[in-house]
Amino acid sequence: MDAVQLDNVSKTYAIGESQLRALDGVSLTVAQGEFTAIVGPSGSGKTTMLQLMGCLDRPDGGRVQVEGRDVTDLGPDARADLRRDRIGFVFQFFALVPVLDAFENVELPLLLAGIPEAERRSRVDELLEAVGLSDRAHHRPDQLSGGEQQRVAVARALAPRPVLVLADEPTANLDTANGRRIMEIMQGLNQRTGTAFVFATHDPRVVAFATRVVEMRDGKVVGERAGQGASPTGSPT
Amino acid sequence: MSSAEAPEIRGGLAFGPLWRIARRDLGRNRRRSLLSMLAVALGLALLIAFNGLINGVMDDMRDNTIRYDTGHLQLRRPDYDADSLSLRGSELVDDLDARLARLRAMDGVRVASPVLWIRGLMTGAEESVDLRLIGIDPESELHAPFRDALAAGDFLSADDRDGVLIGRRLAEKMGLAPGDKAPLAVVDAEGKLDEGLFTVRGVFDTGLIVYDESVALMSLSKAQAFGQARGRASAIVLLLDRADDAARLAATLDEPGLRALSWLDLNELLGYYLGTVKRFYWLLDAIVMLVVAVVIANTLLMAVFERIREVGILAALGMRGRQILQLFMLEALALGLLGCAVGIGLGLAGVAWLQTVGIDFGEEAMSGAGNLAMGSVMHGRIDLLQVLLLTLWTLAVIGLASLYPAWFAARMEPVDALRQT
Repeated sequence: MDAVQLDNVSKTYAIGESQLRALDGVSLTVAQGEFTAIVGPSGSGKTTMLQLMGCLDRPDGGRVQVEGRDVTDLGPDARADLRRDRIGFVFQFFALVPVLDAFENVELPLLLAGIPEAERRSRVDELLEAVGLSDRAHHRPDQLSGGEQQRVAVARALAPRPVLVLADEPTANLDTANGRRIMEIMQGLNQRTGTAFVFATHDPRVVAFATRVVEMRDGKVVGERAGQGASPTGSPT
Repeated sequence: MSSAEAPEIRGGLAFGPLWRIARRDLGRNRRRSLLSMLAVALGLALLIAFNGLINGVMDDMRDNTIRYDTGHLQLRRPDYDADSLSLRGSELVDDLDARLARLRAMDGVRVASPVLWIRGLMTGAEESVDLRLIGIDPESELHAPFRDALAAGDFLSADDRDGVLIGRRLAEKMGLAPGDKAPLAVVDAEGKLDEGLFTVRGVFDTGLIVYDESVALMSLSKAQAFGQARGRASAIVLLLDRADDAARLAATLDEPGLRALSWLDLNELLGYYLGTVKRFYWLLDAIVMLVVAVVIANTLLMAVFERIREVGILAALGMRGRQILQLFMLEALALGLLGCAVGIGLGLAGVAWLQTVGIDFGEEAMSGAGNLAMGSVMHGRIDLLQVLLLTLWTLAVIGLASLYPAWFAARMEPVDALRQT
């Protein structure tokens, strides 16, 4: 079963009196376990596409399916439940809850999903270890570096064991080393868990990690190719 | 880990985690949270103190009126004209001894004493003062409050034929002291002007302008003779064991030619006045609550605007609109509860101080009190039920005030919230 499928999806934003067509009849399928990069210049529609895949927004036209289920017309609560249980997000701006420490940030989606405490603790510990932050579990975001915050965000995205993780420019605010580390972690988790990752990026070093590259321009998918799927050591797999 | 199995949809966020986030959010801007909490505390404290003060003032007015004037119950002729203090024979109670004996034998009646009210005039060298002359049985416990308020000289005796007691303010106005002669004039039962020269036996100081300035007491027998009342009285005044029995006893005492009036009937005007005062205080309560509501709504709106992107993150993680609403309302409730706890403490302390010490507004300030039995020192009274109601009202107002900011946060589309910088 595919993780997510867009079928002739369109989205238009009103900016003042003018209309901006952010997505224009896009069709795309992401299978489970894929590690897909969406590339393209600013304004090409990458972020809008991720938002529609993640049920953060609704399309003006076309259909969106998550795990084969049509989610196009779901109401706000049903979309919230779907995000909570099946979709993880990693944002450019780290997006941690500032009043919660690393452990609590990762635990939050599990609390929302009503996962019992013992299982929550086990999952959070496991994920913090996977991103190399076991010793920083009780630090708040303002006590963590940018790279560490983004690693917490990756752990949080994986906590509910989603079918799909959407990452919008996940390395844009990080230096090269930390950007690389994030991509290595995401790639490792993709391979270990089978969770599909879709990430939007400008950075060719990030694109190099993808097994599939989708190119966008002016709200349309204009090309697609197999990626290098760079290994954690930097060489293509 | 595997993403293959789809987790069941579960109930959502419990109180504990919501409270954890709310509590820490409040701690994020401590100064603002503290100021908001203080606004609630001071608002509620003010409400409790204001209402406590008005409770005390109302109690004092009612108790003073009962103690110095109306008693719990009065027996009068049905057609007695209390406004003109009529001395017409048909409007006065006769057969006093038999009636008093019967009343005093009744269960629940502590004191029964006849009283004659006469409109009079005290003339001085420079001015004359209208006053109410009250003929009393000096031995009766009914007049203990005047006896207790004696500031100079002696109290009356039953056989005192030329003595009067006057209030301190009247004595000062007329330049009189115990032993001095005071000229009094009344219009008697036959409509003739009678004048007499009386000796000021004593001066009382009740602290109530209405009595200290315009009341003179003399023995009932002398008052009856002076006003040509022929052994009659304006009313028989009763003190009961329990004030609450007044209405019930009044119903049993009505008889042809005699009407029993409870202190509630007799203080209708006072009741009306107290009702007006209460309504004024409700308006004041509403204004204070409105200020509290604005402060809370403002605090929460600022919190929402500062955290729009966080709201988007929470929504992206799967928090439902209802849960986001609960989160912000929980913050408001926490501020409200803490503020109310402090406010109750401050308010009760304020009323306790009013109860024991009171506020002295000074006689001049209270000279406009007219016929109301108000002293210059106002006291408060704690009414715990009222405190509870004011607290619940305050919390309800806070809840309402927080609804809009919380709803604003909850209804935002996650994508719009995430777009905010």
